Amino acid sequence: MVTLFSVSNTLSAALLGALAHILPTPLNGWATSSGVVTGLAALIFGAILLAASMLNTILLIWWERKLLGRFMDRRGAMHVGYAGLLQNFADGLKLFRKDTVRPGQADPLGFWLSPTAYMVTSLLIFGVLPISTGWNGGSLPLTLLLALVIFSFAPLFIFLGAWASNNKYSLIGGMRSAAQMIAYEVPILLAVVAVVIVAGSFDLTTIVQEQRDYWFAVPLFLALIVFLTGMLAEMERIPFDLPEAEAELVEGWNTEYGGMLFAFFMLADYLRALVGSILVVLLFLGGWTLPSYVPSVLTSFPLAGIVWFMVKTYIVFGIFVWIRASLPRIRTDQLLKLGWMRMVPLALLSIVLATLVVKAGCPPVLHCVPPMGG
Amino acid sequence: MWVNMGPQHPMTHGLWNLRVRIEGEIIKDVEPELGFLHRGIEKISEDRHYNEIITLMDRTCYVAGLAWEHLFILAAEQALHITPPERSEYIRVLASELQRIASHMMWYAAFVQDLGLMSPFLYGMRDRDLVLDLFQSFTGGRLTYEYMRVGGVRNDLPLGFTGQCRRVLDWLIDRFVEYDHLCLASTIFHERCDGLGVLPAPEAVAYGVTGPMLRSAGSHRDLRKDRPYSVYDRLQFDVATATSADVTGRYLVRMEEMRQSVRISRQCLDWLDDHPGPVLAAQLPRWLGAPYAPVGNESYLLKRNYPTGLGFSMIEEPHGEAGAYVVNDGGEHPYRVKFRSPVLINVWAAKRYLPGYRVADIPPIMGSVDVCVGECDR
Amino acid sequence: MAGTAERPPAPPAVAEEKPFLWVARPLATAAKQFVKSLWRPSTVVYPFERLEDPKFRGQVGVASGKPIGVGEIWDNYRGVHALNINTCISCNLCAFSCPDVCIEMVNVPGGDPRHPKKCPQIDYGKCSFCGFCSDACPEGCLTMTTRYELSVHKREEMVYSPARMFEIFKSKLPMNPIRLERPKNEDQILLDPPICIGCNACARDCPTQCITMLDIPKPTPKPGEKMAKRIWKEPVINDSDCVRCGTCIAVCPKDCLFWGTRQ
Repeated sequence: MVTLFSVSNTLSAALLGALAHILPTPLNGWATSSGVVTGLAALIFGAILLAASMLNTILLIWWERKLLGRFMDRRGAMHVGYAGLLQNFADGLKLFRKDTVRPGQADPLGFWLSPTAYMVTSLLIFGVLPISTGWNGGSLPLTLLLALVIFSFAPLFIFLGAWASNNKYSLIGGMRSAAQMIAYEVPILLAVVAVVIVAGSFDLTTIVQEQRDYWFAVPLFLALIVFLTGMLAEMERIPFDLPEAEAELVEGWNTEYGGMLFAFFMLADYLRALVGSILVVLLFLGGWTLPSYVPSVLTSFPLAGIVWFMVKTYIVFGIFVWIRASLPRIRTDQLLKLGWMRMVPLALLSIVLATLVVKAGCPPVLHCVPPMGG
Repeated sequence: MWVNMGPQHPMTHGLWNLRVRIEGEIIKDVEPELGFLHRGIEKISEDRHYNEIITLMDRTCYVAGLAWEHLFILAAEQALHITPPERSEYIRVLASELQRIASHMMWYAAFVQDLGLMSPFLYGMRDRDLVLDLFQSFTGGRLTYEYMRVGGVRNDLPLGFTGQCRRVLDWLIDRFVEYDHLCLASTIFHERCDGLGVLPAPEAVAYGVTGPMLRSAGSHRDLRKDRPYSVYDRLQFDVATATSADVTGRYLVRMEEMRQSVRISRQCLDWLDDHPGPVLAAQLPRWLGAPYAPVGNESYLLKRNYPTGLGFSMIEEPHGEAGAYVVNDGGEHPYRVKFRSPVLINVWAAKRYLPGYRVADIPPIMGSVDVCVGECDR
Repeated sequence: MAGTAERPPAPPAVAEEKPFLWVARPLATAAKQFVKSLWRPSTVVYPFERLEDPKFRGQVGVASGKPIGVGEIWDNYRGVHALNINTCISCNLCAFSCPDVCIEMVNVPGGDPRHPKKCPQIDYGKCSFCGFCSDACPEGCLTMTTRYELSVHKREEMVYSPARMFEIFKSKLPMNPIRLERPKNEDQILLDPPICIGCNACARDCPTQCITMLDIPKPTPKPGEKMAKRIWKEPVINDSDCVRCGTCIAVCPKDCLFWGTRQ
């Protein structure tokens, strides 16, 4: 079975084997020792993960631009590369070449730390997300919890950067971000609890495997709605992009950031959007599995699990784009009201439903089979 | 804490500054700062031929150029004692009403963008382009039209215009329903707009606020009915009103006004189909004719003893009631020109209708005012 | 508040939209637009598709259900000028009528050396495209075309010489077809005979050659009276050919020509 670990182990061994040929005697033995091979394998593993996540993030931006374009009766990026696929690379290159300016009155430590930490915490989540059977970083019993904990670090760094920027718009944006967090974190966690009750595990791989009989989206539809809404707020996308409401706060908390620092925030935003979509797929849409009545041709090609996983992820993100294209932004107080007075009761109700599902057993609506290679 | 919203800010839609004093998210006080776009149009007008001032009118309000041309032309004709042909009056009304649609669509696009709605912004701009295409077909310009002349309009409508125009109007009527689906049929829209920026009618009148802002408070004041100019007294239409005096009310009024404008335009088109004729008055002072050759010295002009006169006009411009005052001292240039901008007053009343709401409410409220800084600062 | 009391409130023409299932309708509307624009969004892919291109124009337009341009009417556009140097009579009317003073009359080859032929040169950095110059042109040689691409690298390139505008004329772009009629009560050029010295300046500079110098009888001086020093000729102006450019008034050394109406 090809897994991410096996791939990186093979690569590492091959690299070090080649290196051993040209190294002098005492060193080549050291280079081929198992500890070094494993260490390099871990590094390669990280590099592959980083490259894959960044590539997907940039693809996601392209996907959003194209979809949003069609919703708005226009075309989106279309000139750089095929159908504008390379446009975001060009944009990134432009931002990379730009000077990063720190305002004179801004606090240097917080100002530089915030985008870096925001980016790093967003990247960290990928370490624990399983993409397909065996294609995950670490198999902890509490993967889901860990992912959500890292996910909710972000407002802290947003607030840090906003405070350090010494700008009124940034400050209001940061405050809103903090206020928004307490509005959506509780319903998200409650919705997750519903999933965990049905799946019986905090491990994402187990949760996906538990969906072999039916996708959790069917019995836990209520929890899905709450989770989607909460994820929208977590990603700070319209209609919940109050911290960077560009109509009144220019760019919100990242008003003062330019050049590559802005690119960091932008990329991290889409990384988080990717994580959000992946979480929805993992928790509710059966991860990399497909229903049993799908012809086996569709699931038997190599890496079918990853392909179907990506397709589902991009479709879920398409729903977020659809919402962005058709709804206006809401206000902070309305978000708090929505979070506490609508979503928390709904999430609690979905927990009740989840216990009923566990107790009574849901009829197997959609039988799923793990595809080949799983 | 004082926060500057402008002069370069996504909310302002133009070059002006709204200084806001906030406590938390609550607005305590506001102070509009205007004048960033002052170009001295009134003063420049004193040095131009009457027809050349029309080029300035397009730039006074760059989203409602034809309405402002209409305004100035009415005052100038009164000052110069000229009666335009009837057909040109109908063409002017048609142009003004199409301009009202275009202006309101621009408002719609900007307003929904302030709310964070992204698609309707492009829908509004897309459909406005059709009206601009109509303008281009008979004026030759898409933004600065230079179409009306003292004593009529520059040229007649081109062949096939009326049919094309009717098709566009039919298309637009369908789009208005779509706009309502995206805004009025959305719970979030109502949450964001209901009960915001309330300005009751008596206070609006006290401030001098006019146009859709006043009509959204239940007033029926509309100069097209109350003080009909051009041929509005011969056309059938209703005055759009709402009772809530808030942002939603202004939205409703503007949407209904667009529908009424379509209705008026259709009547004008029917009339224009049946009544061909000249569109420019035959008897004009020499410098108002097509070539603008040098007139000679001023003493000669005074010797010719052209009649002097005063002209005043008020029209229901898309943003509110605009006024123009022209003093003709018998020369080739007006002696003095003065304009009354509705937006200036509507914006100044922000001191009354903004405090008490939240920072996040500023974009919808100011968006519902429909600020056009060009005419505000002139 | 005039009119408030007299009129009853107008009934709303269209029933107000009510939210249905919170945000179901806006979502549905956006999805409808998505499906509609899947095949061809309304964007004009500008450098590759042009609205003025008749082939492209035929495919779109309101009638075709795609809101890209209304369709037929376009030639009325006021874009870059085209100048027919051959028919230009150097009357200066375009420069006089320009509200932005962006037209300058410059020499072009082909005139008589003492009175060089002058044609308009337009500075598009100042031009407001009002079209007054082409309205004023009596010969129809300065017209506006549908060309709208004006971006240049240097400011000096914004100034279009007569030769460059002649190139545009020769490229046969669709031109603004509308010509204005002259007003019926136009003033004419009148002469103040006692002041005239018969110098021929007006006839020499008249762009349309509508002024002829005619002999007038030389009066016999009374005894003791000094004879006026002048050429015994007087300009006679052919009104139907006159374009009212005022060149004669401008060149007259004695200010004996003026605008007026012949009784």
